[in-house]
Amino acid sequence: MENHNANDLIKSLQRIYYFNKITFWLNGELITAEIPPAQTTLEFLHNNQHLYGTKCSCNEGDCGACTVVIAQVKEGNIVYEAINSCLYTAAKLHGKHLITIEGLGTLEQLHPIQQVMLENHSLQCGYCSPGFVMSLFALLANISHPDEEEILSALEGNLCRCSSYQSILRAAKELSENFTFNDIVPAWCRDIEKQLFSFKDASKLIEKSGNLFYPCTHYFIPQKLSELTDILANTPESVFIAGGTDLMVRMNVQKEEMPVLIDLSELQELKQITYTSRGIVIGAVVTYSDILHSGIIKTDLLSLYELVEKIASKQIRNFATLAGNIANASPIGDTLPLLSVLDASLTLFSSTGIRELPLRDFFLDYRKTRLNYQELIKEIVIPLPTQDAFIRTYKATKRKAVDISAVVSAVKIETESGKIKEAKLAFGGVATIPKLSHKFSELLIGKPSEEINPIEIAEIVSAEFNPISDVRGSKEYRQILIRNQVLNYLQEYVQGDTNE
Amino acid sequence: MNKSYPHINGKLHLTGSSRFIADEIPLPEMLYTKFLFSPVAHANIMELDTSESITIPGVEKVVTASDIPGINQIGLVIQDEPLFPEKEIMYMGQPLAMVLATSEKIAEAAVKLIHLKYEELPPIFEIDEADEKGEWYIPEKKIECGDVQKALSEADFTLQGITETPTQEHFYLETQRCRAIPGEDRQIILYTATQSTMEVQEVVSRLLNLPANRIIVEVPRLGGAFGGKERGATIWAAMAALGCFLTHKPVQVLLEREEDMRSTGKRHPFQGRWKVGFDAKGKIEALDIELLSNGGAYADLSIAILERAMFHADNAYFIPNVRIRGRACRTNLPPNTAFRGFGAPQAIFILESILDEIAKKLELDPIKLRQINAYRSGDITPYEQKVIECNLPDILERLAFNSNYDQLKEEIEKYNDEHRNSKQGLSIIPVKFGISFTTTHLNQASALLWIYIDGTASLTTSAVEMGQEVSTKCATVVSKVLGIPLENIRVESSNSQRVGNASPTAASTGTDLNGNASRNAAEKIRVRLLPLAQSMLKNQGIDGNMEKICFKDGTVFSSDSPETKIEFKDLIRQAYLSRIPLGANGYYSTPGISFDWNIGRGSPFQYFVFGAALAQVQIDLLTGEHQVLKVFIVHETGISLNEAIDLGQIEGAFIQCYGWCTCEDLPRDTTGHYLAINPSTYKIPTIRDLPSKIQIEMIPSGSKYASIFGSKAIGEPPFIYGLTVWFAIQNAIHSVKPDAILKFPATRESILLALN
Ligand SMILES: Cc1cc2nc3c(=O)[nH]c(=O)nc-3n(C[C@H](O)[C@H](O)[C@H](O)COP(=O)(O)OP(=O)(O)OC[C@H]3O[C@@H](n4cnc5c(N)ncnc54)[C@H](O)[C@@H]3O)c2cc1C
Ligand code: FES
Ligand code: FES
Repeated sequence: MENHNANDLIKSLQRIYYFNKITFWLNGELITAEIPPAQTTLEFLHNNQHLYGTKCSCNEGDCGACTVVIAQVKEGNIVYEAINSCLYTAAKLHGKHLITIEGLGTLEQLHPIQQVMLENHSLQCGYCSPGFVMSLFALLANISHPDEEEILSALEGNLCRCSSYQSILRAAKELSENFTFNDIVPAWCRDIEKQLFSFKDASKLIEKSGNLFYPCTHYFIPQKLSELTDILANTPESVFIAGGTDLMVRMNVQKEEMPVLIDLSELQELKQITYTSRGIVIGAVVTYSDILHSGIIKTDLLSLYELVEKIASKQIRNFATLAGNIANASPIGDTLPLLSVLDASLTLFSSTGIRELPLRDFFLDYRKTRLNYQELIKEIVIPLPTQDAFIRTYKATKRKAVDISAVVSAVKIETESGKIKEAKLAFGGVATIPKLSHKFSELLIGKPSEEINPIEIAEIVSAEFNPISDVRGSKEYRQILIRNQVLNYLQEYVQGDTNE
Repeated sequence: MNKSYPHINGKLHLTGSSRFIADEIPLPEMLYTKFLFSPVAHANIMELDTSESITIPGVEKVVTASDIPGINQIGLVIQDEPLFPEKEIMYMGQPLAMVLATSEKIAEAAVKLIHLKYEELPPIFEIDEADEKGEWYIPEKKIECGDVQKALSEADFTLQGITETPTQEHFYLETQRCRAIPGEDRQIILYTATQSTMEVQEVVSRLLNLPANRIIVEVPRLGGAFGGKERGATIWAAMAALGCFLTHKPVQVLLEREEDMRSTGKRHPFQGRWKVGFDAKGKIEALDIELLSNGGAYADLSIAILERAMFHADNAYFIPNVRIRGRACRTNLPPNTAFRGFGAPQAIFILESILDEIAKKLELDPIKLRQINAYRSGDITPYEQKVIECNLPDILERLAFNSNYDQLKEEIEKYNDEHRNSKQGLSIIPVKFGISFTTTHLNQASALLWIYIDGTASLTTSAVEMGQEVSTKCATVVSKVLGIPLENIRVESSNSQRVGNASPTAASTGTDLNGNASRNAAEKIRVRLLPLAQSMLKNQGIDGNMEKICFKDGTVFSSDSPETKIEFKDLIRQAYLSRIPLGANGYYSTPGISFDWNIGRGSPFQYFVFGAALAQVQIDLLTGEHQVLKVFIVHETGISLNEAIDLGQIEGAFIQCYGWCTCEDLPRDTTGHYLAINPSTYKIPTIRDLPSKIQIEMIPSGSKYASIFGSKAIGEPPFIYGLTVWFAIQNAIHSVKPDAILKFPATRESILLALN
């Protein structure tokens, strides 16, 4: 509710709120807490626990100062994942183990990560340090002896304005060389792993009122679709939240109110990646990290794997979902062009049933989709491309890592007996919705690859779009990007090389 | 001496237990603040109605200009900045009113119920327009030597042009904040994240009409500052103090990231209008340059920043005939302020652009051109300071050697011949950076040292700790003088009661000034302890000369018989019993510096720091991406007090400047609105932006003029090295398109637009 006058505001102070009563482990201790609706983990740590070691620097997922680690059971294994506590709602912690900087090491007995960072002089002002320690903890708790690429990928979501990166990298390499899982994960963490497996309690909603003031009144976390259907039947104005990496930014920074939120991330039916006759099916609450860990995707959809590696940061990828990227319908959602050229379709779910929609038809206008009232994306279906299909994506950003694209594109070319059988090219960031190039397909289909003139096609395709200028890039720049990305793809396709 | 003792607060930081203001338990009764920020850049306030917002339960008070008991003025050198504007709004994001409430959310909601009516005035955002209209805080400043007109007219070649540098956001990870707590006797205790405790005290005292001794300023440490909290923190401290004064309750001001980025000043954009004359060998004979800065709505530190820019307009080169004119322009942007380098990086960028043009014109090798023009010992700067102990020629030679320069150049040419869509480039930049505040009186510092009965020490200095590790260094100094192990020395928060009248911690002078003040304090105590030590050693049969007594590793002994030691802590206990004072106040002021702006002459700097860097980059012509392949730096540190700290400063400064040069694009719309006011759109470097290879050689100069224990200042000079990346990218672009114009910063967009 927006409060444009004093009376509205005073009224909303009398609203009824439903707190989530949850049980979880915090630094080795089982605790029960009553979480105000949509409170973030960071707010919980600061306001409820008075733990201030976890820092807030941006409150929108972009700096990593608030990094904490969550241990939970996934596909029968314990995983330790770093997340941005400023976006991760605290209600999601139910049944998990939250590890913060306060849990690792003491002044008298530093954790090996802290010790090695101290020796390498890996800090200046220290404001970013707890975040870096936690990111390294998650890295080393999951992988023994990570290589440089794995280290960079784990740390790219942590900003250090003093720019101690060089010495942090030195420390990380030393840690990677000299320490293993057993040195890194303390005994008290391992003790809880067993309990995580057997945890069964359900969380509860508790009514509260009286001079409270929050931007949300209900935060539901259904476990099954049937439960979700019941909730939907009783709550007219609700908004879905999966990871919350788009939605919570709107609440934290744009200060939007979301009176009723329904968190989808615990829906058992939506957590899998499976093969079916229609292709690979990715459930709506599968996270980017789940995608990267899935053997299926790495072997059969390498293009998606490689793109996802370039999305956001490790912390964000650990709880952001592919379905969220689609439903969010941003014109620069990175996965949309690739999913378009792969002919992906969506399974949509509502109380009245299920329907299918090709992804290409899903987007109507700027941030508008064909999702009906109370309808959600249940899964994404991606037909398997042919073995030798030429599939590439490219993201043009201002900074190498953790940056939203100015223009993102994807291409798929399938060849049969020397001739192009199918050619699809899609862009994000050039219009209000992700767009396919019609010219591209027109000019290529049926042609033998020797007859392709990359420069000519690039110019024609570029003229097909009329991008706008914004903070991420000018119109002229975007126009050049369109041309050059096409050129790059076609040169590589034709010659099998890019840069010679 | 341990050359690289770890960060003295490293354990605290790494365990998340170091104290930062406002990252701590709320105080009972504490009020939270939210501001009404101006939605326009320039306007007259017609009406500011707070009556509705005040009716909300939980709102304690809504504060505007009329609530200020003293003078509504937070300017210092030039008093032109109100805390809240009474009539004329001067920039977008300027605070106009402050809500004090029992929760942040309530305060936020109440701000929306403040009604502002205004009448827009035409704003000015660009240097050109401000300059044309004569919008300067003070008249033009000038430094001149030789006969520029004559030398230009006689030069073999002349070139002229206009070069511009953009702004940069500080993005200290800890946003602006302050907690104010009422004390007895009208005291207000300010926990404020500032680099200048004295300035906050002075401004708040005037604002509240309270004597300075009622305003207590305490700074545990800062989560980064980079100049952004030298003046930038004052306004927020003043807000908290005012709220506390009016309500008698603790008040917390804590800016969110967007509020901080929208409302606070940034690095000054500069414009250089220049004409240069040189001979066929590339020797520069004359430089006539106007340096214009975009200072924003209020003077802030713009004058001092302009001065430092003017002092660095020659960078590392001797030019016999020079005229440097400087004008700081008033515009309707948030008041631009100090940022690492303080105008010098801007001036040096402009001069290095000029050198690039000369190199292009004469087809000269960039390193040769720089060698020809580099300062040598004995040369005189345009402001008539003699350049002494100048090792620039050696440094450039070392750099060529380390980088295998000739071969590297050949490799790059070969690479460029063989690759169609990818090109490499390189660049070299030397630096001569003047150390001392150019405002001479600021070059002073104090230290308060206590040795307690158990032999541990507590040290407070004028300095504020913000990651530069002035604490570790000052503790090292005390440890050196008194032999106290570093783990037994605590460097305390900065506090105006323990050390008053503290100059800002800035201009890279923190360790020079405060290290010397600490040394002075420690030596006072040492001198007092010597007779006692002598007699205690005598009791153990060592009949030594006082000069031979050593304080080391927590023990005291005579260098004649080092085996017989007394424990430092025993000496201290005995000293206490013998009524020897164990606290001392140290003081230091930098000798031999002065400057007279009436004639533009003097020796503003105690010494110079010299160094040079080379960068090799590769760009992709289709995507505009670049990669920094190799960086070589040769940097003079003097006798480093702590090599790990100095290395960290060099690496960090390089990356911070690299960000300015490549990815930190901060566009603004025509209404004066900064468009990238959050980290999702304003991109500072991440760990992925490290160069593939970086080699740093720190050379001890053996300088007589270096500061504390032969060390030299380190904070700002290495910032300059990051500029090499921009020039190397330009160099790579010029290999395919010699006349391409590359915008600053060299984003992918700039690179592609330059190429197309
Ligand atoms: C630091 C940072 C970096 C980022 N970098 C990138 C990047 O590089 N590329 C990129 O494309 N994006 C990026 N994002 C945006 C975001 O992470 C992605 O869009 C992500 O995929 C969103 O998923 P989510 O689960 O967090 O969505 P949420 O925030 O939970 O939801 C997003 C929207 O979709 C709706 N929604 C979610 N799930 C469903 C569903 N199953 N059915 C119907 N509606 C649903 C929600 O109601 C909401 O409107 C970044 C975000 C941050 C904070
Ligand atoms: S506070 Fe910046 S990522 Fe959470
Ligand atoms: S050490 Fe200051 S931000 Fe990293």
